[in-house]
Amino acid sequence: MNSLEVEIRELAARRHLPQASLERWLALDDAGRAAFLLAARSLKLRTGQLVGALELLEEIAARETTTAAQVLARPRLRGLLDGAGSTPQRAHAFIEELRAIRFPRLREHLGRIESAIAAMRLPHGLSVLLPRDLSSDELTIQLRASGPAQLGRLLDALVERRGDLARIAAMLGGDEI
Amino acid sequence: MKFELDELIIEEGSRESVLAQRVLRALGGSVSASFVADARDAVRATPGPDPFGVGKRRLVVMKRRGAFLMACPAGSAKFACCGYLVLLLASNCPMDCSYCFLQEHVANNPAFQIYSNYADAFDELDRLAASSPGRHFRVGTGELADSLALDSATEMSVDLVDFARAREHLMIEFKTKTDEIGNLLKIDPRGRAIVAWTLSPRAVWRSSEHRTASPSSRIAAARAVLDAGYRVAFHFDPIIAYEGAARDYELLIEELLDVVPAKGISFVSMGTLRMTPALRAAARRRFPDDPMLLGEEVPGADGRLRAFAALRANLYRTIHRRFSEAGAPVPAYLCMENRVMHERVFGVAPENPATIGERLATG
Repeated sequence: MNSLEVEIRELAARRHLPQASLERWLALDDAGRAAFLLAARSLKLRTGQLVGALELLEEIAARETTTAAQVLARPRLRGLLDGAGSTPQRAHAFIEELRAIRFPRLREHLGRIESAIAAMRLPHGLSVLLPRDLSSDELTIQLRASGPAQLGRLLDALVERRGDLARIAAMLGGDEI
Repeated sequence: MKFELDELIIEEGSRESVLAQRVLRALGGSVSASFVADARDAVRATPGPDPFGVGKRRLVVMKRRGAFLMACPAGSAKFACCGYLVLLLASNCPMDCSYCFLQEHVANNPAFQIYSNYADAFDELDRLAASSPGRHFRVGTGELADSLALDSATEMSVDLVDFARAREHLMIEFKTKTDEIGNLLKIDPRGRAIVAWTLSPRAVWRSSEHRTASPSSRIAAARAVLDAGYRVAFHFDPIIAYEGAARDYELLIEELLDVVPAKGISFVSMGTLRMTPALRAAARRRFPDDPMLLGEEVPGADGRLRAFAALRANLYRTIHRRFSEAGAPVPAYLCMENRVMHERVFGVAPENPATIGERLATG
């Protein structure tokens, strides 16, 4: 067992990392093991984040026929290791970036839909909620009103945006992808 | 298509059966046969790194203890279903598709089983017809096995067609990824049999559908059975939503329609890849390098992983549109999708399963 593996095992033990995740980590080549150890330490990844990141990393490498080290060397991921922001924020951004690489079309489509929602400039009290990971095409519209006057204003705002909302519903159902 | 077997096990009670005799005649020279009093132990998973793969290479001829006929196991009140009935004449298959649900479904009893008392299934079909006079049924043999993978040895297709062609209420569906149509061409189905091919683009075939016939071979086989009087259908299932899939499916359909005219296609079905987490784990263990298992699937309300809804709908519409432009209407349905998805793709609400089943059986 080399010193790198010892360090990985020590960190895994401290974080109570599940055996399957440790095996996934040790299955990487030396460059990948070391790059992930650097990320885990720099971002103080928690156990759940380690588990998720290792799974995403392995799947990205398989999808793109590349190595974990090459994935982790990408500028956006590298930049998060010592970039601005708190460590928890950067750790969260690191996982999100891995997810964006793993699910590129999902992230792109989600971005388009979120932009369309933002462009509606919904008034306070009205919000559009999307299904998690766009797993379904259900659109949820949430309306929170205190008193009949606010309720009336929000309902009017909703009706005014009928066309925009219909467009978002269509995007959830596969339009503009 | 040549399949390699490690073992042939025959249950003593099946030794004199027509099926065992046919299998011994066809395969006995290439693999030694052993006989056991009760084959139920022989079908179970054996310890080792890939019990499912080992099971595929162990052919067991035995009696089926349970019913042969059942409702399609994919059916659910949550989905807009097609009213398909399933006849279990075999379990598992010598081909090895990386996404196959059998990797989870028959994980505990993975041996390739064929049932010597399959003629009992005919009695079940007659009882069903007697209990529902006036109804028509579409009954398929390709749910837990490929309908034709071992047909050159078993010749079951001839018996099935012979049975179905004398019954106006029955439509037998063979579902396959092979081009094993030699026996089918020997008998006139008189309109009572459909041969349905699962079709995937070449990228999926190369990456995921091991030991199957190529898409072009399947299409050529479809044309041959169409000319011989069979109805033909195509299952775009699983549709795998890889980058560039929409274009590849369009090209595949073009290739299909160049050989099989739209008016000759009885129906198409569509369903995107869906996997339980356990199936995905099993498939990834067996095929770690197959990128088709690593699409943009996310968990849905039923716990299965599927491509996200917008991507699925877009692919379904692309395929449906291509068939709509083919110059003749091609009936289509979705598998394991809800009513809303059906409406999004086809623009109309789905009929109930019995009505769809009736239409597909008679159409």
